[in-house]
This record gives sequence, C-alpha cells and structure tokens, in this order.
Amino acid sequence: MKKYALFLGCTVPVRAQHYELATRNVAKELGIEFIDLKEGSCCGFPLKALDAETSLLMAARNVGLASNLGLDVVTLCNSCTAMLSDAQSKLKEEKFRRKFTELGFTYPNEIKVRHFVRMLYEDIGIENLKKVIKRPLKNLRILSHYGCHYLRPSYLHTFDNVENPHTLDELVGLTGVISVDYQEKKLCCGGSVLGVDEELALKMANQKLSVAKNNNADAMISICPFCTVMYEDNQRKVEAKFNTVFNLPVLYYPQLLGLGLGLAPDACGLKFNRIKPDGIISKL
Amino acid sequence: MIDLRNADTSFKWEIIKQEGGEGLLKCFGCSDCSASCPVRYLDERYNPRKIIRLTLLGMKNEVLSSPFLWLCAHCHACTERCPQGIHVAEVINAIKNYAVKQGYCPEGLKVQLNLLNNSGRLYELEDFDLKKRQRMGLPELAKKISDVSKIFALTRIFERIPK
Repeated sequence: MKKYALFLGCTVPVRAQHYELATRNVAKELGIEFIDLKEGSCCGFPLKALDAETSLLMAARNVGLASNLGLDVVTLCNSCTAMLSDAQSKLKEEKFRRKFTELGFTYPNEIKVRHFVRMLYEDIGIENLKKVIKRPLKNLRILSHYGCHYLRPSYLHTFDNVENPHTLDELVGLTGVISVDYQEKKLCCGGSVLGVDEELALKMANQKLSVAKNNNADAMISICPFCTVMYEDNQRKVEAKFNTVFNLPVLYYPQLLGLGLGLAPDACGLKFNRIKPDGIISKL
Repeated sequence: MIDLRNADTSFKWEIIKQEGGEGLLKCFGCSDCSASCPVRYLDERYNPRKIIRLTLLGMKNEVLSSPFLWLCAHCHACTERCPQGIHVAEVINAIKNYAVKQGYCPEGLKVQLNLLNNSGRLYELEDFDLKKRQRMGLPELAKKISDVSKIFALTRIFERIPK
C-alpha cells in the first residue's frame, strides 16, 4: 500500500469537500493510504504578494509537518503545490533554514511535494490505471484545464511539458472519454486577480469557458479549487456579463476517475457540483 | 511622459534585495514577458515589461503607486518565456512586496492577513462546515493553527502594514 501525507490547504476542506471526498474514495480504490496533516495551515500563497518570506515560512512549516512523518506530501490545489515546492527548495538555504528552525519547526527528511494528479501519473501510472477502469465513459467530450501552478514555474516542478502539457489529457483519456485537444491549454483562470479586479478575472474565465463551448465539450476537468471557483462558482456571473450561456459542468479529476473506477456518483460527490453534471450521469 | 529628473536611482537596488527580485538587472527589454502575458492580452493597462523598465530607470513613484502592478495573476507564463532566465513573476512579486513596505497595500491583502492571523486558514472551519464534513465522512481538522501567528510575529509583518 502506498502511503502519503495529505495537505488540504484552505479552500478544499471548506468549499470543495466533494473534491476531497472523491479524492479519498479514489485513493481507497487504488490502495493509497493518506495520513492527514490535521495541523496544516494555509499554504502561504495568498500572502506572497504582501511578503514572500512570510508566505514561504508558512509553506515550509507545512512541508515540515509531512517531513516529520517521513512521508511524501500530496496536495489538491495547484497553488499549494507550487508554494510548498518553493518552500522546499528554500529550505536548502542556510539563512531561511535558520529562521525556520528559530520558530521551532523541523524538516528531518527530504520529501517530495506533488499534486495528487501528478502522483497518480508517476506512482500509479497510466497503464495501471487503465487496467482498473471498470466503467469506461463513452461518448463524452471532456476539456482538461491544467491551471497555472500545476506545471509553472517549471524550475520548481520539472514535470510534463510546460509549453505543451499532456499528463492531464492522458489521465482524462484513460477513463474512456474523448479528451478534447485544443490550443489554449495554458490559459490562466484569473483567480489570482479576482480580489483586485473582478471584471478582469471574469474576462479571463470567459476566455476558457468559450473555448470549451466552441469545442462542444460536455464538461471541463479542473484540478485546482481556485480554477473551479472561477469556472463553476462564477459561471453564472460570466454568463450574465458576457450575455452568453455555457451551462458547463466542471468536475474535479478524481470525480471523473471515480466514475471510471465504477464508484457511485454520490461517492464522487457529484451532487455537490454547482452546475449539475446530469448529462454525464445519464450516460453512465 | 517619463521625466528622468524624477528618477530615484536607488530603486532598483532596493528591489533586488527583496525575496525573488534578484533577476531584475538581467532584463534587456525584449518584451517576451508582455507578449506571453494572459492579463496583458485582455487588458492593456498591465504590462510587465513596462513595470520592469520603469523600475530599472528608477521611476519609483510611478511604479509603486500604480494600481496596475496588482493585476499580475502570478501565472508564470512570462517566467517560462524569458530569454534571460529571469523569474519575471517573482520580480513583479518583489516589487509588490516593496510597495507594501512603502505603504501601498491593497485592502484585500490586509483582510487576508487578518483572516490568517485569526485561524491560520483563509476560510475558518465553522460549526456548519465541521458538521457537513462529519456528515460526508471527512476527517476532523484543527480549527485554529496558532503557529501562523508565530510566523507573523517573527517576520513582523503587521508592522509594515499601514493601518
């Protein structure tokens, strides 16, 4: 059995419990054990613009919690992944390490920081996942949204191809759906500017939602709770603002994989999605 | 109109001292960052090349007081394309950090700082959330992470935030 420390961050445990539920149920199905970092705080990213050092210390503390358990850490949010990875490389610097230690934190073991989706790709692997698909999902066109910090900056992640990513497309495709190939994979959801300039953020969200619509997608796949805030929670606002209709379900990847593994829609938390994925459930 | 008589030549040296600001001086102004920027694509007000250029010239007030500085989504598209290997999004972030120290801090960031000081997470786990989690069979989590306030005390973050 593979064992990992699970870091939830801020948004997932309060606003995306269905993502968490689907992740845990998929993990159980695949023989993955999670040890929860119950004392995990915010990753630090929201404060980066205010003071990078403070945010890195917050991130480093979270990395330290996993390191103390001797476990690689798995995250569910793109920005948490980048922030924790950044802190981990920072911990190699003497001056930063001193402040970290001064706070009474420890980092005894070198560990890996990875997004759950990356861990699936690397530690379970596409071929093994294909073997456990019990309910191939046919006749669905699915658009994968990578989000920014799953792969960028590449000097932190060193994974996939940052200019032409494919790992999420492969993971989506193995469930039997048609993974829509499209040009604008790297577009940002706009989540980071939502608090500064809502109109701009909605414009950014509108861009990719329009790409999904033009590609006749049945749903979009997200792997980051903040991207989902932009594409699902704010979808009605985008529709009103740009006088259009999307009605596009946005599923977290573990929700889609869970369906493929034969889990019930409830076990994938689908009833909590704000844009109801009835079109997908009816095709099961 | 840029008037170099108003330039503060120490500005760039201040920025390279900030966390993430190290790469600033390597910029030769090619504008790959602006060409790659998804914010710039939709909103001409934001232009990373211009911010970096103004910083190198020492136009401190123009840069720090500009609301456009805060439109960077920190997506790192620029970083991936920079031919000089500058971590452009980190440089922009360093300028934001310095702006905060100089008294320019967006209200939203102050709110987030206070939220994090109170509970350690941006969204407090309220009774409603805890009950919902329980109903869904999700594990308990600590309600308050007090270590976060300890970090804030060490970096003296509240001292640099204008009230």
